[in-house]
Amino acid sequence: MKYGLISDIHGNVEALRAVLSDIKRHRVDSIHCLGDVVGYGADPTACLKLVLENCDTKLLGNHEYAALGLQSCDNFNDAAKTSTEWTQQTLDDDWIAVMSDFAVDRPMDDMYLVHASPFEPSEWHYILSATDAINAFEHLKQRIGFFGHSHIPTILREKPEGLPSIQTGHDFTADPEGRYLVNVGSVGQPRDNDPRASYVVFDSEELDIEFHRVEYDIEAAQHKMSEANLPSTLISRLSAGI
Amino acid sequence: MPEITVKYEDKVIERIVTEKKRISIGRGNDNDIVLENRGVSRRHAMIEFNDNAAVLIDNESLNGTFVNSRKVSEEVLRDQDVITIGKYALVYNTETTHEGADGANFDGTMVLNTKQQKKMLENDKIERQIVEKYGGSVLLGMENADFAEHRLDRDVSTIGKAKFVHVRAKGFWLSGIQAKIVIEGQVFSIYNLGKQGKLKVNGEPTTQCVLKNGDLISVGKSTFKFVESKS
Repeated sequence: MKYGLISDIHGNVEALRAVLSDIKRHRVDSIHCLGDVVGYGADPTACLKLVLENCDTKLLGNHEYAALGLQSCDNFNDAAKTSTEWTQQTLDDDWIAVMSDFAVDRPMDDMYLVHASPFEPSEWHYILSATDAINAFEHLKQRIGFFGHSHIPTILREKPEGLPSIQTGHDFTADPEGRYLVNVGSVGQPRDNDPRASYVVFDSEELDIEFHRVEYDIEAAQHKMSEANLPSTLISRLSAGI
Repeated sequence: MPEITVKYEDKVIERIVTEKKRISIGRGNDNDIVLENRGVSRRHAMIEFNDNAAVLIDNESLNGTFVNSRKVSEEVLRDQDVITIGKYALVYNTETTHEGADGANFDGTMVLNTKQQKKMLENDKIERQIVEKYGGSVLLGMENADFAEHRLDRDVSTIGKAKFVHVRAKGFWLSGIQAKIVIEGQVFSIYNLGKQGKLKVNGEPTTQCVLKNGDLISVGKSTFKFVESKS
């Protein structure tokens, strides 16, 4: 089976449309969204609609959790807080109800999908260091876990001894005996100094994992955010990919 | 202006709108609200109005005064609070309602139902012990619940059918996260998040409301009772 894996769309419908169009080239069997469809960007409703229409898996991210009012925004920076409040005001009750049905994770045979970490999925722990990765691997029951959250395409491989290896996302074929955690990057707000939208295609028979980048109309997305009076730092970061 | 609706067995027998700073409640004829019943003390309780607050004070009555099924000695009243004295229910409204009075006749000769009184006192005692044990407000599992008691110790508690929610509920077509209970200061509020009509409080479909002690929360086929701690 061939799976398309997308995450962290963040209300950027221009980036999402570009990714959904590009992903068709790979003739994937299904597309799976790992959460954070909303937050930051100007088109949360349009993004939710496209995700519902195109994705088999719809996972909760911390920004859905915040939009549902299930966690305090106290730990968010000012820009994130402002955009969360804007998103809450923008989404009507029908879309709140749609998000309330998203799952927090999804095991699929030898694959596991989650927004942040297999360790306490609804606590939104980041996997940024080898120590974080050890904890995450301890809670991963499958061979390969796909996640998002940090917006940085990354490959983590468990080592029989010592710390897991951490590599920047690149195309590779997984070792059938190995265990991996793969960050698929962000569709709508990449933070690895490459502003292009990111997604992954996974071939579960060949164990091929491909990282893809897609150009999209960043200026159009920025213009809408500006029209919506969203914070300028969130607007400018899109063209820098930070 | 504040309004007190006096009910007997769900029938409105009196509706009092007052500008007074203090109203008295009791069996004696000199009270502002006269409840003619042997189970009611001569000077049973009073309500004092201070600026925006109304405070109910029990005058060490023999059978006790209850607010939302909890025995109280002194209690700040909230809108729609139900004060129980004997078999009378006095509903406190912060503003005058526009409903017409039933005008039911009540001859004041009914005898206090002591079984009901005893049961209410027993339940009150048990529930006080539970909130004391947990040191805070709790949900009691009444129907189709996978717990007997659940401490509401988070700022936000989720209720639904998903495995990751704090309070699991059963039922078809329930949303993963059907509802949330939010603590704001000392006040607990419940909000529906999922499909409409799946959250009910005291049998009424609800989108959001402030919870009161004794409220029955139904989510799908599961029912929970809210027991509030007044620390």
